[in-house]
Amino acid sequence: MIDFHLILDKLPAFLGGADGQPLLSTSDGIVMTLELLGASLLLGMLLAIPLALGRVSKNRLLSGSVWLYTYVFRGTPLLVQLFIIYYGLSQFDAVRESWLWQYLQDAWFCAILAFTLNTAAYTTEIIAGQIRTTHWGEIEAARAMGMSKWLMMRRIVIPSALRRALPAYSNEVIMMMQSTAVAGLVTLADITGVARRIYSDTYMAFEPFLIAGAIYLVLTFVFVWLFKQAEQRWLAYLAPRKH
Amino acid sequence: MKHNDAAQATDIKLRVSDLHKSYGSHEVLKGVSLTAHAGDVISIIGSSGSGKSTFLRCINMLEHPNSGQIQLGGEELQLVPDKKTGALRAANHKQLERIRTRLAMVFQHFNLWAHMTVLENIIEAPIHVLGLSRDEAIARARKYLDKVGLKDVEGKYPSHMSGGQQQRVAIARALAMEPEVMLFDEPTSALDPELVGEVLRVMQDLAREGRTMVVVTHEMGFAREVSNHVIFLHKGKIEEQGNPREVLANPQSERLAQFLSGSLK
Repeated sequence: MIDFHLILDKLPAFLGGADGQPLLSTSDGIVMTLELLGASLLLGMLLAIPLALGRVSKNRLLSGSVWLYTYVFRGTPLLVQLFIIYYGLSQFDAVRESWLWQYLQDAWFCAILAFTLNTAAYTTEIIAGQIRTTHWGEIEAARAMGMSKWLMMRRIVIPSALRRALPAYSNEVIMMMQSTAVAGLVTLADITGVARRIYSDTYMAFEPFLIAGAIYLVLTFVFVWLFKQAEQRWLAYLAPRKH
Repeated sequence: MKHNDAAQATDIKLRVSDLHKSYGSHEVLKGVSLTAHAGDVISIIGSSGSGKSTFLRCINMLEHPNSGQIQLGGEELQLVPDKKTGALRAANHKQLERIRTRLAMVFQHFNLWAHMTVLENIIEAPIHVLGLSRDEAIARARKYLDKVGLKDVEGKYPSHMSGGQQQRVAIARALAMEPEVMLFDEPTSALDPELVGEVLRVMQDLAREGRTMVVVTHEMGFAREVSNHVIFLHKGKIEEQGNPREVLANPQSERLAQFLSGSLK
């Protein structure tokens, strides 16, 4: 039997309301998940644009270095990356004695670092792929108008590539949201973390994880809708004409 | 004679001298030259593979010639051999970019920026390359959209327009640079037959205004009626050139006669 009382009782915990406190009073649950997701997507995108330019660069050393980075971070599980950063690095004295230690001993910081590096790797490849498939005629037109290489990148190639990257990037965002569930394994109380905490308190597994799953579904729906709006706005030029 | 040359030299807009270009061991341009005075409309004709498009694209360095000189309004484009490819490249990027702004190009496949609206396509380079204010650029864009006969299209995307409309937007985009010479690379070859006329009419208007134009074309009617000089390229060489009414009516070379019998209806 499903214990509906338990569901009603524990639902506020996912929305950041600890026992007897108003909702969203702590950063547990959805707030934590969205915080981890938002910070890593933003930082990941800021990294991915210059990295994508490096990835398509004619300079072999530069494009090779970026390739190695994306290969390593796309070729290993996010959980392994998170454990190496959070648990692994602490075994080196040099790390513990450096100024970085104040950050690296913080699970929240480590999670954002791991998620950022991971999503940046995927996003780099998505954007680089779109830069490579920029129509050559549009590049020739930019050159023929007297644009410098950098101006052409900034004004024509990158804006065009980012728009065409939207559908693939929306997948990356949804995948990344699901992936933030591993944050619970380094003590953080994201949606899955809260569910695990309830499980260990009550020995009830079905209800808390059911709530967690339902929340992820709702969030996914919201992201899909947001990206649909974004595509209608930024990719209108690829849509069939409406008149 | 000498005196005459000097007087003429002052209004020379574009001078291309002895251009050579090879792809590997295949020489596609074997010393082609061209001089355009202010107001000249020069048509370049020839069968496919004659090198006519390559020649035009060498003028603004979209292709790199192996030797030759390019002068625009008395300013010589500084070229140096590239160590890797052996072809020439611009010695100074800034100079090449500056010269390109004065040499607008219209392409066979329009090459409009697909993610930008018509207006954004036209104001892009005037704002970011020439340094115009947004208001000035928009005023220019509207002026030239009007000139190419397009109304109520500012907010449209190129993919939502006909080929003929897209090419007219591309011409407006080139005009908005207010260039000294306009280069047209087979501007009607990708168009449906019924759309060719609207683009040719715009080009004819530009010619009447006294704009200096170099046009690679298959349209013999345009070459004969609009241009004041025609160049027939064959296998990378100028086989024949001169006043289009004479050259096209009375070809001296067998090649041109053959070419014309194949293309004139």
